[in-house]
Amino acid sequence: MEAMEELKFVGKPTPRIDQQEKVLGAARYVDDLDFGPNLLHAQVVESSLAHARIKKIDTSEAEKLPGVVKVVTGKDFPYHFGLYMQDRHIFAQDKVRFAGEQVAAVIARDLATAKRAAKRVKIIYEPLPAILDPREAVKKDATLIHPELGAYSHVPWFFPKPGSNIAHWRKVRKGDTIQGFAEADLIFADTYRVPRYAHCSIELHGAIGLCDHSGRITVWAASQSPHTQRHIFAQALAPLGFTHQNLRVITPYVGGGFGGKAGVTMEILAAALPTLVKGYPIKIHWTREQEFYNTYQRPALVGTLKMGVKKDGTITAFDYLIHWDAGAYVEYGANVVNASGLSATGPYRIPNVRIDALCVYTNLPPGGPYRGFGYPELLFGVESHTTRMAQQLGMDVVAFKRKNAIREGDKLPYGAPMTPNGLTECIDRVVKTIEWGKKEEHSDPNKAIGKGFAIFWKAPAMPPNAASSAFLKFNEDASVNLLISAVEIGQGVLTAMAQIAAEILTVPPEKIRVESPDTDRNPYEWQTVASHVAWGTGNAVKRAAIDAREQIFEAVHHACFLEKDALYLEDEAVKCRTQPGFALLLKEIVINGIMVEDGTYRGGPIMGRGTFMPRFTSAMGDPDTGQGGHPCVHYTVGAAALTLEVDKQTGRMKVLKAVEAIDAGKAINPQIVKDQICGGLLQGLGTVLYEDMRFDESGKLLNPNFTDYKLPTAMDIPDEVIPIIVETPQADGPFGARGIAEHPTIPAAPMVANAVCDAVGVRVKSMPVTAEKVGLALAAGQTEVE
Amino acid sequence: MKKTITLTLNGDARSVDVETTETLLAVLRNKLGVKSPKCGCDQGECGACTVLLNGKSVRSCLIFSVEVDGQEVVTLEGLSHNGPTPLQQAFIDRSAFQCGYCAPGVILSATELLTVNPHPTQTEVQEAIAGNLCRCTGYESLIEAILAASRE
Amino acid sequence: MAVAREFEYFRPETLEHSISLLGEYGENARVLAGGTDMALKIKQGVETPKAVVDIKGISELERLESTDNGLHLGALVTFSQVMASGLVAANFPLLRDAAATVGSVGIRNRATLVGSLCSAVPSLDIGPALLVHEAVVLTRSAGGTRKTGINKWFTGPKQCALEPGELVTGIVVPLPPGKAGGCYVKRGRYAGKDPAQAGVGILAMEKNDYRVAFCAVGPVAKRAPSIETCLHGQELTDPLIKAAQALVPQEISPITDIRASKAYRTLIIKVMLERGLKTAVSRLKGKPSAHGAIWI
Ligand SMILES: Cc1cc2nc3c(=O)[nH]c(=O)nc-3n(C[C@H](O)[C@H](O)[C@H](O)COP(=O)(O)OP(=O)(O)OC[C@H]3O[C@@H](n4cnc5c(N)ncnc54)[C@H](O)[C@@H]3O)c2cc1C
Repeated sequence: MEAMEELKFVGKPTPRIDQQEKVLGAARYVDDLDFGPNLLHAQVVESSLAHARIKKIDTSEAEKLPGVVKVVTGKDFPYHFGLYMQDRHIFAQDKVRFAGEQVAAVIARDLATAKRAAKRVKIIYEPLPAILDPREAVKKDATLIHPELGAYSHVPWFFPKPGSNIAHWRKVRKGDTIQGFAEADLIFADTYRVPRYAHCSIELHGAIGLCDHSGRITVWAASQSPHTQRHIFAQALAPLGFTHQNLRVITPYVGGGFGGKAGVTMEILAAALPTLVKGYPIKIHWTREQEFYNTYQRPALVGTLKMGVKKDGTITAFDYLIHWDAGAYVEYGANVVNASGLSATGPYRIPNVRIDALCVYTNLPPGGPYRGFGYPELLFGVESHTTRMAQQLGMDVVAFKRKNAIREGDKLPYGAPMTPNGLTECIDRVVKTIEWGKKEEHSDPNKAIGKGFAIFWKAPAMPPNAASSAFLKFNEDASVNLLISAVEIGQGVLTAMAQIAAEILTVPPEKIRVESPDTDRNPYEWQTVASHVAWGTGNAVKRAAIDAREQIFEAVHHACFLEKDALYLEDEAVKCRTQPGFALLLKEIVINGIMVEDGTYRGGPIMGRGTFMPRFTSAMGDPDTGQGGHPCVHYTVGAAALTLEVDKQTGRMKVLKAVEAIDAGKAINPQIVKDQICGGLLQGLGTVLYEDMRFDESGKLLNPNFTDYKLPTAMDIPDEVIPIIVETPQADGPFGARGIAEHPTIPAAPMVANAVCDAVGVRVKSMPVTAEKVGLALAAGQTEVE
Repeated sequence: MKKTITLTLNGDARSVDVETTETLLAVLRNKLGVKSPKCGCDQGECGACTVLLNGKSVRSCLIFSVEVDGQEVVTLEGLSHNGPTPLQQAFIDRSAFQCGYCAPGVILSATELLTVNPHPTQTEVQEAIAGNLCRCTGYESLIEAILAASRE
Repeated sequence: MAVAREFEYFRPETLEHSISLLGEYGENARVLAGGTDMALKIKQGVETPKAVVDIKGISELERLESTDNGLHLGALVTFSQVMASGLVAANFPLLRDAAATVGSVGIRNRATLVGSLCSAVPSLDIGPALLVHEAVVLTRSAGGTRKTGINKWFTGPKQCALEPGELVTGIVVPLPPGKAGGCYVKRGRYAGKDPAQAGVGILAMEKNDYRVAFCAVGPVAKRAPSIETCLHGQELTDPLIKAAQALVPQEISPITDIRASKAYRTLIIKVMLERGLKTAVSRLKGKPSAHGAIWI
């Protein structure tokens, strides 16, 4: 409806409302909060082994150190926790399952003492075989990492295989792949590998917990999920008598998340430890090293992909077997496997599909959500493979992909129809901008130029009832406090939500303060993940604003005897279509109400509320085929291409130009959308060109630092990035919007691999695609790198 | 070992008792109430702890506070005594930062750049902030803002 | 945040005082210059000195000036100062170019060249440039002063010829005998800051005289005498470069580590040698060529 009318605030590049605070040094993050002289510090004692039985923990030497308040071990907290599957403990119990896992913690008056004491905690282990490779882990006689798997509670859409290391097996069976391959003129299979990656938000994980003398717990956390954290804390600490009512989570500004601060990782300690030392706030803050090995990591995979195509380029069959190295605990990571597994075909129309996505326990740190939620990993294989198949057919790569690109109404791998999308428009605009097909020569004979192209999609991965809500209240000057529990992790949610409320209320965004979450005061939000808040929270905010507007109209109707239908808001005033001269300024009425003839008042403080629950999603698919459910609310699609320079002697690469188009439905703030594209694209380019986590044969991380885990710097950006916004409205989105924040990362890896191949004829089938791999292959005359 | 140090912090004379082992970063944050320098890696790699020491950008995590006795330290808080600097205004106008955790370091590095080189090329801007890791922006908006400020 | 072990902090204002402190505390003393290496090691507990002798109060160590036949770089001269110095730019552009590849501004503003020589990591970027310029390291102790040729300075990975109780007071970099063109070629995993995975410094001089030095492809940064001999007296041609490249394996002993494999280091160092030689020669001949190091 609104989309028809002229929009005043939505769709405009409104300046970010958090920018002054961030640029002038006013923004406060969790580590910036002060807690007074009673603040205690906790230091964890970590497992030195990747897999071992704990024989004995001796804390006596640590306890003797002056300044130590308490030493805590698994005995103090024998409780499970987890988001989708409760396979974790607050501290390791009888076993450790990854190097770096917390086995104990020292609480002390200062950090130096805590660290010193932690070194004195003696742990005796009995080593167990450590399994680092998911394909080893699924072998018949492999050591079981979780022999108790059958006893863990989990969401109904997971299918663990007790007695094995398979924590979840997502199967998709659509059509008949045997028939599909029989119809194909060309069948081609290959294996692709993706290693683990780290989020590397510049802000580290940190949390402070206080259990006050009345027994109420407050946790201040750098978190993407305050309400979900409260819920998980309540579940984990239920045996101690804690419930949601006596738990509170407060989240100030968050210095980057990328999935790493979703769910609960180290924050569980900030909830649990204070219960043993009432009245004292306890701070626990990770170092950069711990950030690498004891939060979520992006899981690794080995995927074998087989596709069948006809001569005319029609894809007839698709078979993808994926072994995910999901780590020691998969309480969140199993849903990465699940959600991406359901859509592992990529954005293609394929009649016959078989997908086996195995979530496999290994003795590496827990895998979990990372911007893209499995799609970048899976599409590295898919978008490399479809490119190779087009080439084998002698077909133009773009023509091949465009021909098979999924359209609205096509059947998805799990049977439901594809949602509205502008995939072909994205393809066409990218192709035009990158000048696809135009071969470029380098002036330096040692260098070659290639182009790479990829298409992508991603749906929000969330439970079918992932709800959002919003609450807004007016102040005397008609400014607004908007209370939500979506977290500003950099993506611009505060500004976008202010724009949505502004559009309905005609109050400019700069007069709207959007408050960061406090679970005591701000209404419920599931989590700030899945690129769902623009859509879900946006809907809730819009409803809250409409609710407030209705209250205003109601008051005016009673006080001024005007028909509600004739009333409208304009420039912070109530106006009436039937009485052109009528205008009541909001600031005169939104708190104090409207005086009527006898001197009494109507109306009063205006407070709007809005909730949003996805209407048609369900997780009720068949376990053996994936058919029948409606697990995804919608898909955001896009296309991207780049021009890459490759040094033929050294393999060194440089991105000359990158173009990425994403269908945002409606860009609430086009500048923020473009900035998401630029930032996300570089994060994706980092994963393919420079970054990866390296472990030694004992499962210890070798590069938990920025010296050897190479985050792109300002010197490592493409010469030119061209973001393109496509807008195919999302029927149930606020003003037609859907999320776009994770998506820009997705095409980076395959398009680099494709461009390298185009430039120098080397196909790299494993990430990262480093200069070293390309350079060595070129020197050896190899055309493929495993 | 305890020592008392005196420094000029954002224009104010400050005196503070420190341990020799404490870094400038820790003392600024925990004892002097200045929170803009952030601890992002504690190894000099990320640039989030950048401050200006006698006008030069340095890593406050790699400096013991005793080393700055008698010297001048400026943090992000100290730039805007008379309102945002033109550079800060350019960052605000461009909505350049996303999560904002790198902002203090980026702004101070860029402040130093524009002081010594008021009209830098794009490459010079990139070099100047290459030590400040940002995971959000892809650096495009930061570079645009700094160049915009340099054209003032 | 990391927490260091207790130490006593000294900030002497004279060389004499600093040397007496080093003598007094012996093994338990550590010199602190820019601290980009030492502060980190103390915080990480790799170094646990009882006394930290901060030499930044000794003003005579700040000298950056020309001498009769070259350049004097005091122990407190930072990479940033080298990059900004007109003296360096005029006569030792190779030093400036190599300095510019070290870390990032915030590191270079603090890190000293002498600190880099004393930390003596195999990947030190300034190593090849100082080697081909045949710099001399000046040290002083209670026993007097000493001069050490840079080619004798690096004794092993993270080891140098510094003796207990000794302080480096500066480096003297002699002017090349005549005109010279230099080039530093650095391999990093990307264009942003990165420790070198291989580095080649080259000085091409009149009469087809060449000096070549490597870093990060062996336990220490070092000259490559066999390559220099092969090149000596000859016009740079493709066959000559090939001959020089063939000698690379005998001049280096690269390892495989997390940053690069031995095979890759061996491969690219040859490419780097070729490109460095060509650029240095073209700079010698005064061909307009962008100053700056080459990143591979
Ligand atoms: C983030 C980061 C990035 C870096 N990147 C690079 C890079 O790209 N390339 C590169 O080559 N290097 C790099 N470095 C290393 C850097 O160059 C060295 O740490 C620095 O040069 C050391 O100088 P300093 O003044 O800080 O020395 P300090 O840390 O103060 O001292 C270093 C060592 O030298 C000793 N020492 C210092 N001065 C004297 C003296 N006058 N007499 C006797 N002993 C002395 C100290 O006792 C100590 O052992 C990087 C360092 C960091 C932290």
